[in-house]
Amino acid sequence: MSEESPPTAPITATGTASRNVDGQAIAITVFSSVKWFGRLWLPLVFWYANHFPKSTGTLARLSFIHFARWTLVRRIPYNGPPQQKEKLSYPRLFFESNFNGGWEEYIDAFSHILTSGMKVFWGTSYGFPQPLPTGPFKAYIKRNELEASHFYSAYPQATTTMVLAALDLAPRLERFKEQTSGKTAEDFAQDWRKFLEETQGSL
Amino acid sequence: MSNQAGQAYAFMAITPILEGEEKKLRAYLDGFTQETSPFAGLPATHFARWVILPDWVDDPSQPRQDHLGSEYLIFTSNFDGPLGSYLDELCRRPEAQEIWSHCVGAPKPATGHLLKAYLLHNHIDTGFFVAAYPDASVEKVRASLALRERLSAFAVRSQGMDPATLQSAFNAEFGG
Amino acid sequence: MTGRGPERIDYADIQGDILRAYGNDYERTSYMLAHIEHAPGGRAWLGSLLGQVTNAEQWTGPKPETTLNVALTYAGLQALGVPDSVLATFSDEFREGMAARSQILGDIGESAPARWEAPLGTDRAHLLVTINALTTELLEEKLKTFRAGVQEAEGVTIVHEQHAQLLAGVREHFGYADGFAQPAIAGVTPHRTLGGGVPEKEDKWRGLALGEFILGYEDEDSLVDPLHRPPDAPAEPLGRSGTYMIYRKLSQDVALFRKTLRDAARLYEDGDEEKLAAKVAGRWRNGTPLISSPDAPDPSFNPKDLRGNAFRYLDTDADGARCPLGAHIRRANPRDALGWKGLDDSGLLSYRHRIIRRGMPYGPPLPVEATDAGGGEDRVDRGLIFVCFNASISRQFEGIQTQWINDGNALHLGHDKDFLLGDSTTTDKMTIQGSPPFFLSPQPAFVTTRGGEYLFVPGHAALHFLAGAADRRAA
Repeated sequence: MSEESPPTAPITATGTASRNVDGQAIAITVFSSVKWFGRLWLPLVFWYANHFPKSTGTLARLSFIHFARWTLVRRIPYNGPPQQKEKLSYPRLFFESNFNGGWEEYIDAFSHILTSGMKVFWGTSYGFPQPLPTGPFKAYIKRNELEASHFYSAYPQATTTMVLAALDLAPRLERFKEQTSGKTAEDFAQDWRKFLEETQGSL
Repeated sequence: MSNQAGQAYAFMAITPILEGEEKKLRAYLDGFTQETSPFAGLPATHFARWVILPDWVDDPSQPRQDHLGSEYLIFTSNFDGPLGSYLDELCRRPEAQEIWSHCVGAPKPATGHLLKAYLLHNHIDTGFFVAAYPDASVEKVRASLALRERLSAFAVRSQGMDPATLQSAFNAEFGG
Repeated sequence: MTGRGPERIDYADIQGDILRAYGNDYERTSYMLAHIEHAPGGRAWLGSLLGQVTNAEQWTGPKPETTLNVALTYAGLQALGVPDSVLATFSDEFREGMAARSQILGDIGESAPARWEAPLGTDRAHLLVTINALTTELLEEKLKTFRAGVQEAEGVTIVHEQHAQLLAGVREHFGYADGFAQPAIAGVTPHRTLGGGVPEKEDKWRGLALGEFILGYEDEDSLVDPLHRPPDAPAEPLGRSGTYMIYRKLSQDVALFRKTLRDAARLYEDGDEEKLAAKVAGRWRNGTPLISSPDAPDPSFNPKDLRGNAFRYLDTDADGARCPLGAHIRRANPRDALGWKGLDDSGLLSYRHRIIRRGMPYGPPLPVEATDAGGGEDRVDRGLIFVCFNASISRQFEGIQTQWINDGNALHLGHDKDFLLGDSTTTDKMTIQGSPPFFLSPQPAFVTTRGGEYLFVPGHAALHFLAGAADRRAA
């Protein structure tokens, strides 16, 4: 095992190391050790979340997450020597997120808005302080956070709200083109005004 | 367990790093930029990362300390499925070969279908995967973003145009 | 809650003008930046100022003719001989200084530190003395004694002076009434609670914890902590009663601003230049909020009547038809606007990013006629000395600047920046929501950063400690 820790990259405006940042996108990678009953609890949580997507509605509405996942790592696959057969005394909860906005704002939102959701996912992890107050919780995440060595986004300058706005706009523009094809200039101009009115929230 | 949300797929593999090769691997990964990233050549990739796990972080409240026998390389990707073809393309990349050649048990050379089998052997199934736009491929996202920019710019510059000018300018810009 | 009573507030220990403004009777403010050559001389000089430093206690008699307050940069604390172990307890961003964080703050291009007025942004900036005076005569008198004191002191030089003055009507240079909306602090400024506090459900408001602005007191986090752990603060005795201060000299291109509004107004169907000015700021120039008066300013609007500040956004204006989503005040203080209908406590995403502002305009006003001729620049520097206070520079001031002013993501506005401030390369477009929406085109920036500093404002006991700190430095 390596003795020296790697040099940490400078903290950016986003509040996290620069290797966790690609344009506007921020990576967060966290492992936490899980108590024995987490072995039973978390698969239940996953099952429920997967089968009742509405239960995670608020998470989606926060609209600064592109993609996020939780995974319970119970065993490390074995590839023969010289790899050691890893025996996990505790399963590990893996969390990764690709999001926008400052790191602090992100964690704040989780703590305040998803308070019960947080407890559901991290409640069985050792050392998990409550989501509130945010100070100890941020410290907990920071302690358990890993810095990416390489983080990539296919559209680094786009935030989640921009992507959602863009995806909303594209079909609307198509419909507008269809509806206005062949119309007089006057009618077109009127329709255009209406179109702007409808789409102003996405521009 | 769900590795999918809509057409988006979440993949994770964790592979042990050969002793003494961590620094080299780190330096190699660190060298990538937006342009030189191997994922730039894997257009189905929305977000991906390589993370080195030096050891477990144990919490003081744990009755026992847990340690890993070596450092591990974590690979995660959020991409447009299906899994099989994505891994095929990933395993064709020279960077993939370079990276996983530093891992225990990787095929020599670490490429092609043997590398794919290796990654599948070392994959971990996702528990819960959440995607803000599960049905939009990378291509669709990029195209929509570009279109939004053009539409926004057009909305600004066409302000005050008389109807005839507006209509022809619109057609010129968006083909109508 | 837990049965703890409210903490006793040691007003005498906290410097003045932070919790409660000295007020607009003080027409003049001067910011005198000193360099300290060696610690003993610096400490002695600081000691000579101690008796003049005004604190946060309410005045019982007539207002003092002048007030004086002291703040230090990180370099200044070093110059006074504060030991490294103590220096290490100050926040990272304070220690780095504002200039080092220019990328984060958007101080690039014309606003980059390389172009700042020396020695702002360098380690020669040590100690800032802020003097407020009721009149110009009183200011001159005070400055005379002050300068004499500097002369007498050993190794102290004034390396930068900035003089500021109230403009007529308590406006700033773009013409807006400013400075009257401030955070409500529980137990301190209860009269500000409606509108100045945290918006809660069912139209309620509550004041913010004192610790959001003064170190050594419980902040919002410690209030919900069963253990009431206090927030991070510099080591005692320096931390208690102190706060961090942000000082920024912002130059305003008034001619360009007026011209921009004038030109844009030609195409604006919904109103005139004044309405556009209101849409950009979120308030009409006399201070009337657009939220309450979307069509015309209220001539009877009195900034001192705080009922006018008791508004929130989501219930009447979620789509920005009254006050644009990107209007300056909506960005700088979103209130409940970051939440969404159906979310109780929509103030939760913004309430920990409040700041207390105490700036002053500088430079003579640009006569209105100057822009009538089209583009009348007089090459006179004018603008705003932006001053604010908070317990955490990174969470509060920088949070606002990076997430809400220099970007639009949190407000669902893509990358659109604040049209009024923006960054110095170019403003982005601004969408004025409506039927139909109106767009302000990207412009060269109206505001340029000419310099700034992150400073620490010690409490009285801490000031005494700094002045008397004898030979504590290891070496």
